[in-house]
Amino acid sequence: MLPLIRLFLISIIPFLLPALSRATELPDCSRPLTLALHEHGLLYSAQTGAGIDKDFSDELIRRSGCKVTVSILPRARIWQLIESGALDFSLSGIANEERDKFAGFAWYFSNKYYLLLRKDSKVRQLNDFEKNSTLQLGAIRSFRYSNNVNNMIDKLNAEHRVTYASGLDPLYQILIANRIQGMIIEPFDYSQVENTAVRELTLIIDTNDPAIPHGLIMSKKSLSSKEQEKWRALVEGMRLDGTVEAIFKKYLKPDLAKTMVNF
Amino acid sequence: MALWLHEKNNAELDMRTKLDFSVRDVSSRIEQRMAVYEQVLRGAQGLFATSLKVQRKDFSAYISSLQLGADYAGMDGVGLACLIDSTEVAKYVQQEQRQGLIDFHIWPEGVRKQYAPVSQLEPAVGSNLIVVGLDMLADPVHRLAMERARDAGVMSISSKIRLPTESNSGIRSGFLMYLPVYKSPGQNNTSNIVDKADTLEARRANITGWVFAPFRMTDLMASLYGENLPATDIKIYDGVETNDASLIYDSARPSQVDAVLRRHSAQPGRSRFTRQLQATEYVVNGGSSWTIVMSTLPGFEEHVDKDKSVMIIVAGVLLSIVFALLTWQLATGRERALTLAREMTRELRESEARFRYLAQYDELSGLPNRAMFKDRLQQAIVQARRDKTRLALMYLDLDKFKPINDQLGHHVGDLLLQAAALKMLSCVRESDTVARIGGDEFLILLPLIEQDQDALFVAEKIRDAISQPFHLAGGHVLHVSCSIGIATYPEHGEGEMDLSRHADNAMYQAKDCGRDQIKFFGTV
Repeated sequence: MLPLIRLFLISIIPFLLPALSRATELPDCSRPLTLALHEHGLLYSAQTGAGIDKDFSDELIRRSGCKVTVSILPRARIWQLIESGALDFSLSGIANEERDKFAGFAWYFSNKYYLLLRKDSKVRQLNDFEKNSTLQLGAIRSFRYSNNVNNMIDKLNAEHRVTYASGLDPLYQILIANRIQGMIIEPFDYSQVENTAVRELTLIIDTNDPAIPHGLIMSKKSLSSKEQEKWRALVEGMRLDGTVEAIFKKYLKPDLAKTMVNF
Repeated sequence: MALWLHEKNNAELDMRTKLDFSVRDVSSRIEQRMAVYEQVLRGAQGLFATSLKVQRKDFSAYISSLQLGADYAGMDGVGLACLIDSTEVAKYVQQEQRQGLIDFHIWPEGVRKQYAPVSQLEPAVGSNLIVVGLDMLADPVHRLAMERARDAGVMSISSKIRLPTESNSGIRSGFLMYLPVYKSPGQNNTSNIVDKADTLEARRANITGWVFAPFRMTDLMASLYGENLPATDIKIYDGVETNDASLIYDSARPSQVDAVLRRHSAQPGRSRFTRQLQATEYVVNGGSSWTIVMSTLPGFEEHVDKDKSVMIIVAGVLLSIVFALLTWQLATGRERALTLAREMTRELRESEARFRYLAQYDELSGLPNRAMFKDRLQQAIVQARRDKTRLALMYLDLDKFKPINDQLGHHVGDLLLQAAALKMLSCVRESDTVARIGGDEFLILLPLIEQDQDALFVAEKIRDAISQPFHLAGGHVLHVSCSIGIATYPEHGEGEMDLSRHADNAMYQAKDCGRDQIKFFGTV
């Protein structure tokens, strides 16, 4: 009986192999690839050289087996390069109609956006900020957010009430200096808020938008849909085996991490 | 006025939008330029990462081969600073001196735990030689940026510094850019920062030095591609505080700005936009934040060419005047036209009525004229024919009227004619018609008679009335008579022509018989 089973197993191996190889098919590494990180709270800090996106990209690159050059760029530059195809990947990107034209995404977390406000602005909901024409909002150049926030920023921008920066640090500083009275933050910015003078001055309010998925950004110009699928499968693998959750738990409180990665 | 205010507002918004766009453009160009410089520095970083020991002359040759010409203006050079423990200072100094720098020493003096003296700054000419031996870690500004580069493993930029290489060419603001150099176990795997020093601890443990480049801000800004908006001033501050201490770049020196202000205030009508517009953007680069402030200078609106408000107010005033004139013209013109039209209509109506009157009536006597009489006669004949009744037509001529006209004048003759007409009218029924057909000739139509006597009776009545003295205005009392010829329908003719001819004949017969007589046609 045992030889028979052995014989059966040996005979089905040729049929199983292609299926297995398909499931673990790795991306094409015949050329060096590029990935850009941007400085943003716990996603990546140039002060420490560490962050969620840094860990995520390290693991993703390791699993892909590809040679990937990582650089740190301003967010606005990243989107330009992704669109042109000069950059293959970036992280923590959110989609919109325009970006969908030139970028593919592989989601790995989801979170809501919040409005960080100076307490003395007396604003308690999003609409109040819009209505008070003396209030200025700080924003990162080329960042897009959830619907309500995008609408507000577009409106304020038309009124020249948005101050732009290529990173969060100066925005925190001018919030303290009362040159802006509010800025949009995400949960991975909390630690910066909690550990600085910003905390005493500010409060955080909900934007009443649903959580927005964030993901690996892939340039459609440099990566075929087939290649994108392979990278998507790698990301999905990292989610399923708990790697993504583990990375988030390293930087965030366990409950928050769990909420963000299970969407 | 509303349009002017709207357009003035629009012009300001437009200028603000242009300024916003421009400050974003400048920020973006600075970021891209910095990325290029970083790449040059990465080349030097790579050189040290591939070799455990790079000789002074090798580094010099490498920098020379990069041919950093005018296109890299602002970058004063590329240097190397090695990290030295206090225990290794003496050995390090000797080593540097053996490589040809006989005077090499570390400065400033003092005992410190670690040193990072400038080993060389290429090209090793002029002021670049002065800094050799300077312990960069001894300066807190350098130290902060160097530690940041070491800990993060990425490019770092210092705060504002007074460049040490510029002691003999005036004080100029600038900054230093650093990249860390780590001990590399593999020596051949250099392009990925992740590979070199994976963790913060590993990076701190494996740091061997830094490659760096000093930058003069003025030259760096001059090397940016693209054009800046005219009549604007760009100021760059280190950090978010905008004061003189943090100012690292000003595109327009204060004296130049003053000159522009003076020039513009001297020109009349140039002070429309005394309010300066300003746009600010914050750039984060290499762990440092810069505040880029772009302000408009007088004359900005002329370059932008978008201030339509003045044009609109001028055009508006002119148009208002033109419209006012036009409206006045139209309003009064309309009134005038209406008056004229009313007058013309009235005249036309009067004229029409007059023509209609003149076409049908004798102007002098007010009696129907020949045309109207003819019309009435035709109608009367039709009626009589249908009703099988009779009618009478009389021709009347005043006797010896011509001598009265000639002797007493036309105006008396006319008065006589008018009076005679009235007398005739007084002798007939309303349904009868008396007409004057010219001179002293009259026609009388009796549309319905029973017998000849009826016509004779009316004719007699008229002859009698005419023969009565006429008391005319001016005291004239005139005595005239008349001759009357009568024709009846259907006996003397069934048509207008026949009846007229026959009545006329009868009238002449009466005249021929001595005047002041009445004759029926065919009774002679």
